[in-house]
Amino acid sequence: MASLALEKVTKSFGKTDVIKGVDLDVREGEFIVFVGPSGCGKSTLLRIIAGLEDQTSGHVRIGDQVVDAVPPAKRGIAMVFQSYALYPHLNVRGNMGLALKQEGIPKAEIEARIKKAADILALDALLDRRPSELSGGQRQRVAIGRAIVRQPKLFLFDEPLSNLDAALRVNTRIEIAKLHRLLGATLVYVTHDQTEAMTLADRIVVLNGGRIEQVGSPMELYKNPANLFVAGFIGSPKMNFIGGAIAAEHGAQTLGIRPENLEIAADGPWSAMVSHVEHLGSDTYVYVEMAEHGLIAARIVGEALHQPGEMVRLKPVPEFLHLFDENGLALPRPA
Amino acid sequence: MSDIQVARRQRRWHIAVFLLPALIVYTAIMIVPLAQTLNLSLFHNDAQNAVHFVGIENFRTLFVEPRWAAQFWNALRNNFVFFLIHMVVQNPIGIALAALLSIPRLPGRAFYRTAFFVPTMLSFVIVGFAWKLILSPIWGVTPSILGAVHLKWLFAPWLGKESSALITVALISVWQFVGIPMMLIYAALLGIPDEVIEAAEMDGVVGPSQFWKIKLPLILPTIGIVSVLTFVGNFNAFDLIYSAQGALAGPNFSTDILGTFLYRTFFGFQLQLGDHYMGATIATVMFFIILAGVCAYLFLIQKRMRRYQF
Repeated sequence: MASLALEKVTKSFGKTDVIKGVDLDVREGEFIVFVGPSGCGKSTLLRIIAGLEDQTSGHVRIGDQVVDAVPPAKRGIAMVFQSYALYPHLNVRGNMGLALKQEGIPKAEIEARIKKAADILALDALLDRRPSELSGGQRQRVAIGRAIVRQPKLFLFDEPLSNLDAALRVNTRIEIAKLHRLLGATLVYVTHDQTEAMTLADRIVVLNGGRIEQVGSPMELYKNPANLFVAGFIGSPKMNFIGGAIAAEHGAQTLGIRPENLEIAADGPWSAMVSHVEHLGSDTYVYVEMAEHGLIAARIVGEALHQPGEMVRLKPVPEFLHLFDENGLALPRPA
Repeated sequence: MSDIQVARRQRRWHIAVFLLPALIVYTAIMIVPLAQTLNLSLFHNDAQNAVHFVGIENFRTLFVEPRWAAQFWNALRNNFVFFLIHMVVQNPIGIALAALLSIPRLPGRAFYRTAFFVPTMLSFVIVGFAWKLILSPIWGVTPSILGAVHLKWLFAPWLGKESSALITVALISVWQFVGIPMMLIYAALLGIPDEVIEAAEMDGVVGPSQFWKIKLPLILPTIGIVSVLTFVGNFNAFDLIYSAQGALAGPNFSTDILGTFLYRTFFGFQLQLGDHYMGATIATVMFFIILAGVCAYLFLIQKRMRRYQF
């Protein structure tokens, strides 16, 4: 049974179509990530699921219920906001308990649920503090705690990590993944960061211009992007695209090759000039300038000693070539 | 070591230079008159018009000598009633209007906002005179408007009856100034981030309970400021009563507040001669009442109130 289903959902603000017909089925217990560039409609889609925006047409189903006319609080969902949106005048306990109190749940039950959430999130010592007395990471955990206590069928996360610093982001990412395994709940997560999407998702939904470009597991999208957009969006540094004669040789309009699938080898078919080298320790990114094709990135494991200005030859690993037709759609792999 | 000292001395000088203009202006228009007033309240003239230092004798006269005390306590009591009416009518209405204005996608929001705020920008003289005409039993529009809806029996010359004049004047003032709490609280409501309100929606805190549980606690600091402004404004009030009811604050001093009492005493009115020394005494008492009110707010209330950062 689908835990969440979107059926031909569209959304227009005045004459601007933000969501142009989205169909999606989310399975019970799945971790789904909406990813896409800013303005692609991913947050709007999440807000439609939450009930904070009304879709212009189409239906939203949560569990076995059509929730188009159901107010947010009655949809059996909980949401974690980008800015955490804690109630500044309530302490941590009050923040977590407000929704339950509003539902009329008995005091003892509220206390028990807060206690349990606080245990999971290591918030016990902070229950009597106000949001202004908490650090960013702690506020984030309170926001998640406020969602957990409601025991929702569906969790919605709206870019929850974007206000945290880089180190905390990695830690919190791991905690969210653990939390998902622990709770076993269905989770929809919005981010613009493809690394977050890759590391967290069971399935990624890539959105662009209000449409779903592709849905699939992280490695599926990585290995078999359905089109140029997905190919370019997933992976860092991004996939190199080469057109012209080289692509035509393979019977395609555009040829894609990921940086790690390029070798610098004397017998390589493509000649290029090194323009910049980035040493990351574990890897070296070598950016080369190829006549007619512009800047191409190659990722070499370990240390590679190349100097800008040096002429090198590039050798693609043939089984990792991606081919795209004139509409940007992926062509079947050459056998 | 000596370099640092030189640098410090130079810095001190330029601070003084920049502070000086403001200090001079403030001294000339605030501190000197205030000190003079306080000083004046300690003197009195005798029958030969010679001025003597009398200490706190003027205050004793004001508080206990029957002729003065009756007027003073009447004005003080009226002033408190005037203030209380503002607190229980003006500020709640201001909050309610602000809450209505902050409803998302309210049609005609700009029009309502302006309409409620316009009276605040009108002159007291116009407001006082206009309401005097509106409520006049002889040529006012109120009796005929009430008559049109068969409620004429409700009408009374409210401004002319001792029992209702003060309330009526206070309500006119409320009508004029309700825009100020409305604007301040409206701004505070707009300052609450959308995501907090959306979080409340998700938590099922909607409608009136959203106002009571989320919005009201977050605008409490602004309500505190509004209360202080109301207090200061009401205890300094004079103009509206003077223009609607005259300096005698009739009928039979039923609308007399400290401002009008001070005016009559200091400048004199009709048969009453002006008495600068007793006038200064009343002004001093008013100053201390307002000072006490503001201090009570600052030290007792504001200290316990939290300002929220979002």
